[in-house]
Amino acid sequence: MSAKARPHFTMDVLRWQPWLPTVDETGATPDQAALVDKVAPSPESRPYYALLAHDAPALEQRTLLFNAVMYGHGGARRADRELAAAATSLINGCVYCTSVHARRYAQLTKDTATTQRLLDEGVETELGEHERAIVDYAVKLTRNPAALTVADLTPLRQAGFSDREIFDITQAAAMFAWANRLMQTLGEGVPRAGVAS
Amino acid sequence: MTGTPDPTTSAAGDGGPDALDQFAGITADSPLGQLRAQQPAAVSAAQGSYLALLEPDDPGGVSRYEREAIALRVAVLTPSEPVADWHRERLRALGVTDAALAAIEQFPAGPALAPRETAILQHTDLLTLNPGAATAAHLAELQAAGLSPRDIVTISQLIALVSYQVRVLVGLRLLAEEA
Repeated sequence: MSAKARPHFTMDVLRWQPWLPTVDETGATPDQAALVDKVAPSPESRPYYALLAHDAPALEQRTLLFNAVMYGHGGARRADRELAAAATSLINGCVYCTSVHARRYAQLTKDTATTQRLLDEGVETELGEHERAIVDYAVKLTRNPAALTVADLTPLRQAGFSDREIFDITQAAAMFAWANRLMQTLGEGVPRAGVAS
Repeated sequence: MTGTPDPTTSAAGDGGPDALDQFAGITADSPLGQLRAQQPAAVSAAQGSYLALLEPDDPGGVSRYEREAIALRVAVLTPSEPVADWHRERLRALGVTDAALAAIEQFPAGPALAPRETAILQHTDLLTLNPGAATAAHLAELQAAGLSPRDIVTISQLIALVSYQVRVLVGLRLLAEEA
């Protein structure tokens, strides 16, 4: 899709650098400051939330949705949701999102080798039936959602996914249609300068 | 379905219609409505996001017309017919003419738009179709067209929300077709 060369994807912890001034820089209202403190999961990602806090009601609802879709109880395994998130982020080329969610996928599955291969070789890399079904569905939903047909559910059904699990994976991929469109258009992931790894 | 959706009434959280259910043509007590209801926090926050971005208490520097135009444009590009129909009707209810609708839907080939609207729709197209190509220079163009950082955050969130909605709708459509 992009005319840019394929980005370098990594599981390293990156810092997100905004392309616009955040509320930390322009002077946050008390409500904005409290919201950013509440929703920013790490110092590396704080500038992202501090930028989105310019529209605090939208950030608040987006965060509630993100947490429900990615961490809600029942349905698809957390690792499966993270895989859908990582595959979507790879296709969209979001280096920061990919770093976070590939890392979480590797932690949850304890399979760093496969995760690294996914980053190095892309979504076509060899995967098990369960993982292949998730990745192929997420890729189609990312690239051309209107083109999906009921036949695109067949690999998921053959791998044993229930309605609820398919819907959860749909929501996770869709959530990263959302997250990528913020993370890679309002700033970018950069290496952490001066931080010992 | 219990009736024809009326996109011009507020899809309010106080018992009002849920936007995703309306787009999908499902009711809360249908099988797919019950599937969604297994995650009440997701249903509530998806609707809350819709209200925050399409029916904000304080619209700030991005007008209701601009918000509906952006949402229509994302739906036209994806494409998602029910979402496009919804925002087209809401724009008509705001008094937007057929010529102005054509300018949004056929952009950039349709009737000419003001520089600010042109900049907003260019950014909408970029984020909808090729978010990986976005650079800091694109944000500078929006600022040159008069958008503040807050306005840019709002329109980005809105484009991203509709990109989410159209994909969740595809999942619901596939599950419905399979049933």
